[in-house]
Amino acid sequence: MHFPLRRRLVAAGLAAAFLTGCSATSASAPTATPKNAAADTFRYAAPGSPTNAATDPHGLLPGESDLVRMALTYDVLTLPGPGGQTLPRLATSWQPDPGLTRWRIAIRGDAAFSDGRPVTAADALFSLRRMGEKAAENFGRTAMFDLAASKVIDDTTFELVTRKPYAEVGKALEGATFVVPEGSTDFTRPVPGSGPFRPAGGTAQAALFERNDSWWGPRPPSRRIEVRAVPDPQARGQALLSGQADLAGGVPATLVKQHQDNPVIQVVRRPGATLYPLVMRTDAEPFDDVRVRRAVRLALDRKQLLDVTFLGFGEIGNDLLTPKDPSAPTGLPQRSRDLARARALMSEAGLKDGVDVTLRSTTAYPGMDTAATLISRQLGEIGIRARVQLAPPDTYFSTVYGKEPFYVSYLGGIPFLDVVRVALTPDSPTNETAWKDPAWAAALDKALAEPDEARRRALLGDLQARLRDEGGYAVWALSDRLDLAGKGVTGLPEGIGFSAGFIDQVKLGG
Amino acid sequence: MRLRRAATLLAAMVARGLTLLAAASVMIFLAAEALPGDAAEVRFGGRATPEQVAQIREAGGLDRPPHARYLDWLAGTLAGRPGHSYVTGRPVADLISERAPVTLLLAGAALALACPAMPALAWLAVRGPRRLRPVITVLVVGGAALPQVVVAAGLVALLSAAWGLVPPVSLLPAGAAPWQHPHLLVLPVLTLALPSAAYGAALLRGVFADVAALPFVRDAELRGLSSLAVLLRYVLPMSAAPLARLLAVISGGLVAGTAVAETLFGLAGLGELLVTAVGVRDIPVVQAVALLATAVVVCGLLAADGIARVTTGARA
Repeated sequence: MHFPLRRRLVAAGLAAAFLTGCSATSASAPTATPKNAAADTFRYAAPGSPTNAATDPHGLLPGESDLVRMALTYDVLTLPGPGGQTLPRLATSWQPDPGLTRWRIAIRGDAAFSDGRPVTAADALFSLRRMGEKAAENFGRTAMFDLAASKVIDDTTFELVTRKPYAEVGKALEGATFVVPEGSTDFTRPVPGSGPFRPAGGTAQAALFERNDSWWGPRPPSRRIEVRAVPDPQARGQALLSGQADLAGGVPATLVKQHQDNPVIQVVRRPGATLYPLVMRTDAEPFDDVRVRRAVRLALDRKQLLDVTFLGFGEIGNDLLTPKDPSAPTGLPQRSRDLARARALMSEAGLKDGVDVTLRSTTAYPGMDTAATLISRQLGEIGIRARVQLAPPDTYFSTVYGKEPFYVSYLGGIPFLDVVRVALTPDSPTNETAWKDPAWAAALDKALAEPDEARRRALLGDLQARLRDEGGYAVWALSDRLDLAGKGVTGLPEGIGFSAGFIDQVKLGG
Repeated sequence: MRLRRAATLLAAMVARGLTLLAAASVMIFLAAEALPGDAAEVRFGGRATPEQVAQIREAGGLDRPPHARYLDWLAGTLAGRPGHSYVTGRPVADLISERAPVTLLLAGAALALACPAMPALAWLAVRGPRRLRPVITVLVVGGAALPQVVVAAGLVALLSAAWGLVPPVSLLPAGAAPWQHPHLLVLPVLTLALPSAAYGAALLRGVFADVAALPFVRDAELRGLSSLAVLLRYVLPMSAAPLARLLAVISGGLVAGTAVAETLFGLAGLGELLVTAVGVRDIPVVQAVALLATAVVVCGLLAADGIARVTTGARA
């Protein structure tokens, strides 16, 4: 399909930009045809809502479009790599003292804010402190740091103090540690950033960014990026299919199924991005008995759940909450359905005649309600009579999540230690499974105080394996994150979670 | 003397309008208040500790009693400062002025289509070719009952998927005004206009049938006046008052009812703002948008009353 009017307008607008000399060093040929000129703007239809669009990089970033806008405007200290490793960004090194509580963070000396000021260690520490003040909004991302005791050493070095020995400081600085100029107070508009792009106006719905030609990092191939917040997944997909976007994030599996063989688009799959774990509170009947929790995990037909809920776009789960984390244990046998063993466990738990429970879910994310219905049917076979009750999407997270004893939850591609902080320590704000095992918590502290990376990973892996067998989660499947991109689009971010938000290297095809 | 009477009438009408608006604002506030959870709870649902939620509630003034918040809001709005969003902290006036052009354009274009379509369809149902009348009646009544989502899906299937005339979504390029891309507005405007036109025609059909049965209209028809002339010369003027009231209600409905069309086609307008604001309990935004839509209806109804007074007053 072609929409010549629109193309002509864009071409005219860009031609004007060329004439006024906005792009003296464009990567494309100097004799740009209108088509090449239009191809200078990369258009991303991202999940998010124009209504909730955040302007504060340290608060709540409700949609992916918010993360993407911040990641274009501001530099972060470190970046999650596609394989789970930590990549340097503004921070070039992070070195601990022998006790693993005092870390020297060195930052680049060649980064500058858009107002010309150099980015210093004081700016970085100021930004971390601001994140600490906004802990309620960013789920305590800096909770492991004693920011009052941390201090600036010189222009490019600061000392970051942790509350306990904490070996994963590089990881803790990943993704959302956006650095702003020290002393910034008014965040109702973007403050000067040092990132790969600069905000260049736009509307409530579409924010425009222009390449920051003095950025220290690899030169972004696109001169302009347009980030559009589109709440409806179907609309995002259609935007790409009709040529109104070059990348559509998080599109429905049904749409991907229809267009899998479409030659003008590419389907981008990111494995392990989303899971809807089944939550069982370990302090509420009947799930306070570990045998019942085991029975539930053995009663689930994971393949059927994957095929129906995620249309097969994903992989079956092995009850690990973060199987893509580099510390996830490997070599565990795949858990599969064993109704005989599950029924035996139910009898051992004194529930030979079954038990009535309420399983809560919602329609906040596609398929969560379907999953609940299927789970209820599958559990019926071992005598757990689960009545499904759906909560509206806008109250689910305040009335069900973290409160009810049995529900379908949501987890989106976050690292193991983030899940631990939010949900698995005795004082986590959302300890939804009431997992307060002191031995486990002690083993966690020990793992985080282990300086040797391989040994630490093994210890963290053991913690995950124990949680898999004894904890309150059943992870039946992981769904792929599905994006659609135009043919020839390259430089798309890999990985899940925060890494998906960094699109500065995207490039349009020919 | 006549001037003074007109002034008194006008003052009474304005007073009535303001009373209606005040009542509506209280109702909107109470309705929003009755929703479970507040902005702090919904926003950080589950992921923040109770102390953190309390802290946010206090910082946003959410811990104060409802009447204090309502009066604050009222005072601010009367002073032209409708406050700040609980969620983003941005001025509500900014949020609304950013989005008003899209919604006003959609609603305006839909109204421009629905306005002539309503009486035309209604008249066809009453005095159209005899065989067509029941068909049109069914179409009009059925169309009025169709949800917007269904209309939108049908239009996308036909105009976009089958014929490839317009794109199935309407993302406006950054920095572009909506009217610069008219082809992007076709589907959302039709989605709004068709059910409104059908709804209006369904209501007008009865009015027209009554007017058409009046002796002097029958007389005009017997004299051999064309159907169109009868409509223009007799039926429309006679139905001016209900027609004006209908238009008022439909305009308000269009301003408030763009939510579905905006969400489906990916346009950021007032309807989408209202729906999201309700979802996150952003009461200042909900209040402002809902009150704006109410104001459109109230103004329209007052104008309709004025028209009714003029048309009936002339005869009295």
